[in-house]
Amino acid sequence: MKGGQMNWMRKLALTTALVVGVAGPIHAEEIKFGLLQDFTAVYTFVTGQYNQGQQDYLRLVNEEGGIGGNTFTAIVRDTGNQPQRGIEAYNRAKEEGAILFDFLSTPVSAAILDQAQSDKNVVITPAHGRGDASDGTVFPYVFPMMATYWAQAANLVEYMKQTGGLEGKKIAIVHIDSPFGREPGPILQALSEQEKFEFKAFPYASPGNEQSSAWSEVRRYRPDYVMIWGAGGGQAVSVRTAIQNGIRPEQIHSVIWLAETDAANVGPQMKGVKRFEATASGMDHPIIQRINEKVIAPGKGSGETANVGNSYYNLGVATMAVAVEAARLGAEGGATINGDALKAGFEKIAGYDAEGLMPAITITGADHQGGGAGRVSEWDGEKWVPVSEWHAAYPDLVRKVIEESASHYGK
Amino acid sequence: MAYFLELLISGALTGLMYALVALGFVLIYKSAGVPNLAQGALVMTAGYAVWLVMSWGLPVWAAIPIAGAIMFGFGLVVERLLLRRMVGQPVIMVVMLTLGLEILLRGLVPGILGSAPKPIDLGIDFAPIIIGDVFINRTSLYGGIAALVLVGAALAFFRTRLGTKLRAVSDDHVSSWAVGISVERAIGISWGLAGVAAVVAGALWGSSQGVDWTLSALLFPAVAVVILGGVDSIHGVVLGGILVGVLGTVIPGYLDSVAGGSTRDVVTSLIILLTIMIRPFGMFGREDIERI
Amino acid sequence: MFYRLSGTYHTSYRADRRLWKVPTDRWLVVALLVLGAFAPLYVSPLYLGSYVLPWVIWSAAALSLTLLMGLAGQLHFGFAAVMAIGAYASIHLTRAGIPFEISLLLSGLIAAVIGAVFGGAALRVKGLYLVMATLAMQYLVDWVVVNVPWISGGAHATLRTPAVSFLLLPLDSLAARYWLALGWAVLLTVFFMNVKRSSFGRALVAIRDKDFAAAVIGVDPFRTKLMAFFTSSFMGGVTGAILAFCFYRAVTPEQFGFNVSIQLVAMVLVGGLGSVIGSWLGAGFVLLAPIFLTNIISALAATGWVPVSQNFLSHLPLMIYGAMIIGFLLLEPLGLAKIYDNIRKYFLVWPFRHARS
Repeated sequence: MKGGQMNWMRKLALTTALVVGVAGPIHAEEIKFGLLQDFTAVYTFVTGQYNQGQQDYLRLVNEEGGIGGNTFTAIVRDTGNQPQRGIEAYNRAKEEGAILFDFLSTPVSAAILDQAQSDKNVVITPAHGRGDASDGTVFPYVFPMMATYWAQAANLVEYMKQTGGLEGKKIAIVHIDSPFGREPGPILQALSEQEKFEFKAFPYASPGNEQSSAWSEVRRYRPDYVMIWGAGGGQAVSVRTAIQNGIRPEQIHSVIWLAETDAANVGPQMKGVKRFEATASGMDHPIIQRINEKVIAPGKGSGETANVGNSYYNLGVATMAVAVEAARLGAEGGATINGDALKAGFEKIAGYDAEGLMPAITITGADHQGGGAGRVSEWDGEKWVPVSEWHAAYPDLVRKVIEESASHYGK
Repeated sequence: MAYFLELLISGALTGLMYALVALGFVLIYKSAGVPNLAQGALVMTAGYAVWLVMSWGLPVWAAIPIAGAIMFGFGLVVERLLLRRMVGQPVIMVVMLTLGLEILLRGLVPGILGSAPKPIDLGIDFAPIIIGDVFINRTSLYGGIAALVLVGAALAFFRTRLGTKLRAVSDDHVSSWAVGISVERAIGISWGLAGVAAVVAGALWGSSQGVDWTLSALLFPAVAVVILGGVDSIHGVVLGGILVGVLGTVIPGYLDSVAGGSTRDVVTSLIILLTIMIRPFGMFGREDIERI
Repeated sequence: MFYRLSGTYHTSYRADRRLWKVPTDRWLVVALLVLGAFAPLYVSPLYLGSYVLPWVIWSAAALSLTLLMGLAGQLHFGFAAVMAIGAYASIHLTRAGIPFEISLLLSGLIAAVIGAVFGGAALRVKGLYLVMATLAMQYLVDWVVVNVPWISGGAHATLRTPAVSFLLLPLDSLAARYWLALGWAVLLTVFFMNVKRSSFGRALVAIRDKDFAAAVIGVDPFRTKLMAFFTSSFMGGVTGAILAFCFYRAVTPEQFGFNVSIQLVAMVLVGGLGSVIGSWLGAGFVLLAPIFLTNIISALAATGWVPVSQNFLSHLPLMIYGAMIIGFLLLEPLGLAKIYDNIRKYFLVWPFRHARS
């Protein structure tokens, strides 16, 4: 055990060796992804597991011989959610030859977006980041590539419609008081006009360790459905305080950021809570099985084995699966992989579902979201159980909101 | 009306839970005159300690005293290694030292023990206590009771022989020395006690939100509590806590949906500002007279 | 050795009041200026853009803050908010069509006026209470920026800086942006060194040492404190605008959070309160030391000698940053400026160990 642990640490360290910044000769067959994320500040709850999935998947691809002889290297660095350090990390990774970046942080992405676009480097913002970046005509190098927050909200609302109807019903949206928390506002507004339901937003102060006043108000609003829109420790507090205010777990619908760790924090009462998911969780998927067999079992995993197969881990795996697929398509015809080739590869992705781990996505030059499909799953006390099929909800409406918002960019 | 009452009660209880964090701050300030801005990080460390001890398979009632002992020792060590060397330095140096400690702990503890939120199950029932249309959260209720008990214990402690020494030290270091009191030991003990208070705060807050670095963010409301109650007043913590909690719950309860954003931090900031402008030493603090 | 003092005589008061009395110092300053001005020619864009440029800008910010904290002795834990005001004001002003040069000045003035309100608290309290009051104001400014869409730029809260030029020099190349930042930092440095010798500077020092005593000798504490906040906030506001236009080129509220205020105070303290060279050294040290130390440890980890996990590695900069603050306060409370001073004095009298006595 101890030896195994040493081994993965060394392997991991090798991956992060590039952090050193010794500019070696750039190997044509080595494709570098910059995973410059926030491990220490706001997004700690997800980054560790998400990044672990990303690194393990890239390792799996390398173990299986890479893509057409190309191997993949992850450049992993902490940005602490600070734009300052994000810019530094971006510049250094760029110098080292990274062509794809994942920041998993709204302020850092915002500070680098322009720079990356003019450098022609691909930025992926899976399941986070600005929704209007789905418009490939305005953001040519940015790929949300999974359901944006708007698509997530639409999916949850559609699920409510199917389970209990919407007309004349009331939805309470309880959100963290930040740009991220206010994100679903526009789409809910559009949906409420179309489906004739009523909704009201209840903000709570960041980081959300105390939300009693918001939930006292929610209870008196007597909502039929509740949406919680937060991240990290605040999510567990939301679920707890909701239940303490007499809201049934079945009424609670969460944004994608609600995971096994939060369930452990809330306890058995969380049974029945629903969340949007963009990727399946659990171990029963070909890719995860192969990771388990070829990466985890030989002790080459990049983190705690217990995390393998959980929601955020699988999300990380899926992001890299799409990126690697894009690299494969981009390299077709013998093109050298650079930012432009990778972008072209992304836009060639059609019907890719990472062997069933995620809904099939099709990315085009205009639609960088890839359709925005997802599904709703329910916590059964031990794991997430899907309660709806993979599909995109209200795609036209979501697209309209995206285009409208993108048209304001840069003005 | 029931809404107002509910906000009032939950605010008061939350405020008492802030008071738990603030108590450590006051204990240290009272004896050593050191504003400990690392108290939030101390609560976080204590939360991790409780989780760690519980992960060894120990039940809650055993884990909390063990974590208490660990944190008492930790407080002693911090005082001995860091703060004792800062005696006589200007306040900015001391403030910055405690902030440095807070940053260090925020890196070190999650860096070693993991940054994903850790659960602490205190076995508190989920169902609220319902009186008419008023719901009372049990965790906050027990937290509030714990705060009152702890403050009571702290007040009683200051009546004991050792407590009297501590009070003497807080009055005047030099005269305490002159009558044979070990000022260093007294200050060390107050740091240890602040560590113990942090354990209770860390366990209760950790059980409601999970243990991760965000526990250290409790420093901000705790600062408002001590400023309002008076930085060197133990019973001030109770009233300060209740006021900060009530204002920070009732006002957002009516304003948030109008303002479209959470106004709690604004209320907290304004409490700090107004107190400092109107009565800097707080409600129960001792007014310092400056001599040239 | 290097500092040859023989033949250096000050025969007039004027000569004795010069900023750099020792020829070596003078040459050193000239050499540094030349090195700095030509940096874009020999420093790779990576190092220029992600290390040198932020260092220069943060040095300017540290200089602005140390005027207040070092010279006037007024503690300020909300300086990032002042910079935020400058940054947001400059963007909105240039967007409204005002020339960049003028909007820089105006944003400085706006920051100065609001910053002087911060100073209002200083008229009543000092020490710990001033720390807390400025901290509360930081939160208030943050809240206003986040919650007023008119300021923050709406839902995504990211405002891009428009393309501008400064005195006919378009700010789209890295070199141009670097030169503007360097010019501002040098200007602040020169101002700071001279203000120490002016009556205003001496009034500030009198206030710092004891405000009642200063009042007795005829320095008006009310006016001097407000002036200190006004001046320092003006400098901070323009620096914030420069930071937005020359470095970030897009502003979000997170760029000016509470932790940035702490970082600024750390720069000022690590450098040495009230010292010019300390501001430069402190900014560089606080900004770059955690990055370089982390790189060294990652390199060691890569060789497999130091077994550390990813989680530990990514928390390392935070630990180093905290440990650094603690280390400096315990071991050298007077900061890097004092260390520099010791080295300089050593060479000044070398090969002897002590001067004269």
